[in-house]
Amino acid sequence: MQDFTLAIPLLLLGIGTLTALAFSRSGWTASRLGWILFLFPLSSFLLILFAFSTTIPSGKALTFSIPWIPSLGLNFSLYLDGLSALFALLITGIGTLVVIYAGQYFSDDASAWRFHAYILLFMLAMLGLVLAGDLIVLFLFWEGTSISSFLLIAYKFKDEAARKGAFKSLFITGGGGIAMLAGFLFIMSVTGSADFKTVLASGDLLRASPLYAVLFTLVAFGAFTKSAQFPAHIWLPEAMTAPTPASAFLHSATMVKAGVYLLTRLNPALGGTDTWFWTLSIVGLTTMLVGAYLGFKQNDLKPLLAYSTISQLGVLVALIGQDTEIAFKALVISILAHALYKSALFMSAGIIDHETGTRDLRKLGGLRKQMPLMFGIMGVAALSMAGLPPLFGFLAKETLLASATHPSLPPIVDTLFPLTTVLAGALILAQAGLAVWGVFLGKPADEKHPPHGHDPNFAFWLAPAIPALLSLLIGLTPVEPQFLVHFLAEAAKAAYGDKVKISLALWTGINVPLILSIVAVTLGALLFWQRGRIRPLMTNFLPHLTVNALFDGTVSGLDSLSRTATRLQGGRLRVYLRIILLAAMGLVVLFNGFPVRLSIPSLTWNFEGLNGLRMFSLVMLTASAVVSTVIRRDLYAVIALGITGLGVAVWMALEPSPDVALVQLMVDILSTVILILSLSLIPRKLRDRANELLHSRRGMLRDALLAGLAGLVVAGLAFTALNTRPRESVVSPFYAENAKPLTGAKDIVGAIVVDFRGADTLMEILVFSLAGLGIYTLLHYATRKSTDHTHEEPEKQLKPNSPRGVFSLPTSPMLHTLAYIMLPLAFMLGVTHMMYGHDQPGDGFTAGVIISLAIAQWYMLFGYYETRRKLAWLNRNNMIAAGLTLALLNALGGAAFGGGFFAPVDYGKMFGLPLPPGFYLTNSFLFEMSIALSVMGAATLILDNLGHPREEDLEADAELAALEEKQ
Amino acid sequence: MTLLTSLAIGILFAAGIYQILRRNVIRAAIGLVLISNAINLFLFSTGAYNGQAAAYSTAAAQISDPLPQALVLTAIVISMGGFAFVLSLLYVISTRYKTSDGDEVKGLKN
Repeated sequence: MQDFTLAIPLLLLGIGTLTALAFSRSGWTASRLGWILFLFPLSSFLLILFAFSTTIPSGKALTFSIPWIPSLGLNFSLYLDGLSALFALLITGIGTLVVIYAGQYFSDDASAWRFHAYILLFMLAMLGLVLAGDLIVLFLFWEGTSISSFLLIAYKFKDEAARKGAFKSLFITGGGGIAMLAGFLFIMSVTGSADFKTVLASGDLLRASPLYAVLFTLVAFGAFTKSAQFPAHIWLPEAMTAPTPASAFLHSATMVKAGVYLLTRLNPALGGTDTWFWTLSIVGLTTMLVGAYLGFKQNDLKPLLAYSTISQLGVLVALIGQDTEIAFKALVISILAHALYKSALFMSAGIIDHETGTRDLRKLGGLRKQMPLMFGIMGVAALSMAGLPPLFGFLAKETLLASATHPSLPPIVDTLFPLTTVLAGALILAQAGLAVWGVFLGKPADEKHPPHGHDPNFAFWLAPAIPALLSLLIGLTPVEPQFLVHFLAEAAKAAYGDKVKISLALWTGINVPLILSIVAVTLGALLFWQRGRIRPLMTNFLPHLTVNALFDGTVSGLDSLSRTATRLQGGRLRVYLRIILLAAMGLVVLFNGFPVRLSIPSLTWNFEGLNGLRMFSLVMLTASAVVSTVIRRDLYAVIALGITGLGVAVWMALEPSPDVALVQLMVDILSTVILILSLSLIPRKLRDRANELLHSRRGMLRDALLAGLAGLVVAGLAFTALNTRPRESVVSPFYAENAKPLTGAKDIVGAIVVDFRGADTLMEILVFSLAGLGIYTLLHYATRKSTDHTHEEPEKQLKPNSPRGVFSLPTSPMLHTLAYIMLPLAFMLGVTHMMYGHDQPGDGFTAGVIISLAIAQWYMLFGYYETRRKLAWLNRNNMIAAGLTLALLNALGGAAFGGGFFAPVDYGKMFGLPLPPGFYLTNSFLFEMSIALSVMGAATLILDNLGHPREEDLEADAELAALEEKQ
Repeated sequence: MTLLTSLAIGILFAAGIYQILRRNVIRAAIGLVLISNAINLFLFSTGAYNGQAAAYSTAAAQISDPLPQALVLTAIVISMGGFAFVLSLLYVISTRYKTSDGDEVKGLKN
């Protein structure tokens, strides 16, 4: 059954993000914006709450699935059970508070819509992550959180620390995400599906798989980096450069819990093995202790809170590693308790920073009288963090200690686990003391400048007050709230795979956990009392030994490596070319590209029939190619090049292949014309210099050798390929048989181009049109600076009586007359080609190029201005547009009348039009027409731009005018 | 004939590569056309049949292979578009850098 209630919260947050963007220009203050935008997460919260409450009677998970990439068997699926609901409600619930809070935090800032947009985007990604019902969907949203958190951390992008922090977090969590994706792909290869229902049910298959170690390592790596486990924890303290509302959200309840969520979610599928137990226990316990230890050294409120978060994340990871019921009870209670007190603490820290201007514990102190309300809120939250009764945090610590002393633990762990928990608990308690004492009770270091501040307005303190109050109420309430108990039990069940009994009673009698708790509290109090002695000792103990040094070393090492690599590339293209050529030839030889031995004796020399002509064409094209290479003057080289093209055309005609030969012939001529036109643009001096360069002795031998070698390799490759090619085509017979019945064309090549592979041709004319537009852009904008003075109004330079051809030479009136006659003739020829090209040689390209050639003749003979003036109706941009539009419409017409994109339709027959014999008004004809139009347009655009007169022409004009005056 | 075709392709290619390797940017453009001619010639020659007649469905004799022909047809037009673009780059080089020496074009580094 489809449950749309799962998709709607995501849509709502998406709309929220767009709404925030829509307000970008409104100039609204952040606080007004916050009061509107909080409705989106709030309604999502309520919807998820509703959706979850419907599952309570049946105990079944809700699912939603729509096909996404059916060919890969991928669906966009969502999934809601107790575990996802726990996270989803935390995300949207705290998210609602954070949006209001951020409004107050940025108060009058009218540019904070950016923050709101980012945070809603993040919320969307995070919610999608926990609601995902499929590994790939989860990955998608996982990366979304990495990217949107990057934007949030780098929110104050002018601050270098913010940029560095953002980079580090993206680098670490992004790297982890890639590893995780690889792990997911392995899981999919084992289970054959990405869907959670299948994956979670195939735990035995996965655990028994030989790939288990690999996929576990990859997935765990992803989870550990995201959840800031040692040694990847270093990004979290630096991410504190984010604005406090973001820290309160990302780094207490949501993003850092993503890794925890992933491990918990996959516990039924991957958990229960020794590898799982040991890896998660060791990493978790280490992180727990390292975080707690480092946190005690901090003086800044936010990093202090960040390190205690790291410690708490270690606790959670260690708990997931256990395979006991009590551990999962502890897990869900800890997740909820931590999210509540940590978000309250972060938001309080933000308020203190906002009101007093500092977060430094050394500068703060004695604020209890100025900010009594904040003292209360932060005090309650800190007591919960310290794990003191009667707060919710106490319950979390008790159940944690209960699972740490569970009798099923193996040796070593059964001592280490309680020991670390007690130690870390003591350190965390001392930190909670540091935070509250440092802000509200103690004295500032500099007594002459006591901090000033007062309690903020209602909306500002409400946001931290709600989670703090909840921490208190859940602990104090005499009757267990049934909904909450059931809710947590469902979450734990989804994670553990079996029923978990939850009770929220604080007092469970005098037992081992309670005694350990008392030990931890005593030890913590002792640490706090002696903080003046212990903290300096800790600061001086190995201050430089941090994982950061390792990370920075790696990053700067990579940087310098890439700098060295770049130094190899000196910017000389010819050097690159040589390397590329040598490497390419090396690869051919390495992979044994010449399997065919040259067996000269078996070759038969056969000059019968057309072979003599073929020989002639080959000699013609090779000889002219060589001439074009060695000849000194560039203009002659261009003409020799043209002859090479003609040789190719002759070869093609002898195949026999009249269509291609015709196109090759036309294109060759047009290319030569364009080349000559563009040569005329390059100043004489530069051309002479270029000719010298071609014949300078320096490096000539090297280049000749390299070119010769390349030619040999290519010749060898071609010989091998041509000799071993299959002499039976698989595809061509189909085209040959079906050209006439399917497309009505006798010309098979034409049928392939405009019908069978019509979409290909559409792309081709697009490319050709883009080339024309690219040239236009390049010549008009890239060179504007250097040729500004030549771009004056063309009318001023117009001299209708002295048409000037290419190279600014005067041209003969006879040729002018010829040009006048040629243009209409070319049009007629072109139209004939299009009309009858389906049965005879010639097609749209040929038509387009023929007409372009006639136009090129004008440019050659009359020059730019005269041509533009006389052929003013020739609007190249419109022609390109018309050609491409017609092509598309035509393809759609095929879809409408012929049953498919580009399917052949005979409009003439359809409407019963009287048409001349042999001509069919089909959509192939229209396509030919569109090809011709766009080719014509692009070619004209090219001619136009390359034929545009530049400085030299103007100079020549002036000289000529001076001469005329003399006479 | 195959050997001769291959040799011709090799020579065209070598001539093209040589011109590109020189410092002269105008010749580099010419070299480019030679190389695309060589490639088109090669593609064209890969047809499976020894055709006696052009590829028309009414032909009485063995037709030449239409598939490589259609591909080359497309290739010819596209390479002309690319070539024209290269020519406009030539013009940009000559006005921006006031040179026709490929080694003096250093704008890529900045």
